[in-house]
Amino acid sequence: MKVKLWGTRGSIPAPGPETIRYGGNTSCVGVTLADGSMLALDAGTGIRCLGLALPEEPTRLHILLTHLHLDHIQGLVFFAPVFRPQTEIVIWGPTSPEASLRDRIARYISAPLSPVEVRELPCDVSFRHCPETEWEIGSARIRAASVSHRGPTLGFRIDDGDSSLAYIPDHEPALGADLEELEEDWISGFALAKDASLLIHDGQYTDAEYPCHLGWGHAATSHALSFARRTNAQRTLLFHHDPLHSDDFLDGLGAEARERWIELGGDPAALELAVERSEFELPARAPKAAATA
Amino acid sequence: MSFVTQRPLELILARNLMSALSTPAFLVDEGGLLVFYNEAAGLLLGKRFEELGTVGPQEWGSLFGPFDENGEPIPYDELPLVTAVRAGRPAHSELTVRSTDGTNHHVEVSAFPILTPHGSQGAIAVFWPSLKNGNGAGPA
Repeated sequence: MKVKLWGTRGSIPAPGPETIRYGGNTSCVGVTLADGSMLALDAGTGIRCLGLALPEEPTRLHILLTHLHLDHIQGLVFFAPVFRPQTEIVIWGPTSPEASLRDRIARYISAPLSPVEVRELPCDVSFRHCPETEWEIGSARIRAASVSHRGPTLGFRIDDGDSSLAYIPDHEPALGADLEELEEDWISGFALAKDASLLIHDGQYTDAEYPCHLGWGHAATSHALSFARRTNAQRTLLFHHDPLHSDDFLDGLGAEARERWIELGGDPAALELAVERSEFELPARAPKAAATA
Repeated sequence: MSFVTQRPLELILARNLMSALSTPAFLVDEGGLLVFYNEAAGLLLGKRFEELGTVGPQEWGSLFGPFDENGEPIPYDELPLVTAVRAGRPAHSELTVRSTDGTNHHVEVSAFPILTPHGSQGAIAVFWPSLKNGNGAGPA
């Protein structure tokens, strides 16, 4: 499984010289499965560049939306494959008691917010609610679960061969909870991230910023680290950077996070801040050492 | 693929909220299993949830009474929490619970189901001191 980060920013695009290293595009992660199938996790502004990088021949793409906040869907109408009649796009997302996934997305892809309507999109597009049970796309098994954020929001786990990716970009697992003390089955998103080869997790706020953003649906650095430690993820990327956090600020945040991570007993090489356009090839999990007599 | 038992998010958030309340409250899952009660409920009952742990449907129904106004045990099927989780309907009643030290508490109980797009995930019951007989006075 190959993973490429096309947008790492949260809330709103933050382009400019002060964010050029970590990136200014909002959430989008491209995933290429072992059989060549292509997934896009979220459709923030980063999906525009993902679309430009894809070949033009007929193809089938899956877009998995964690939720419908604007920073996760804003790039949909600027995703070049949407305008290719030969392309089939399946958009997966959370259910809501209010309206279908198609109708909720159509609120954005319609006048006056958009120059085109969903029905006018040239591609063959379909909308599917993520099932409660695991399902297959290409060579991967996908699992979605509701996680603690504002409004119906999912996290995803993608298992392809022996490697696994957990994607929980918007997540406040410590809302009213002590992650260090809580039993694991009571931690939001735990099952998605348990033993994942790579965990991409919300790290929007510093610990100092978090008290002013309690209940906004995002994690403080220490919460993200506790979550990563409790779930035993092999490698963790702090993602969904706050738009106010410049490259220099994020350098400092990363250094502090690594110090805290080491204090928790973590491998410093297993923790990084997400950088736009960075790529990862997820290896198969190393077999567990055989027990010795 | 790693399959770890995971509580539904709605139960997780309900527990987190209940943990912060000073009103006694019970939480059961969709199978009627008592999966949590808060510190205030622990004070009422004389035993913290951490001491008791998860309790099966029939068992918690008889652990602390409950009794009707005549001091008769209330059948499990008639408890508000059971109505909420089985019928998916809110329920309210007055009853008496007995704490581990033998003290009876006359309370009103409001129970409501936790309904989600994926169906019922359980129910919550909140205990209120009864205004009728005063706080803590009830049939022995």
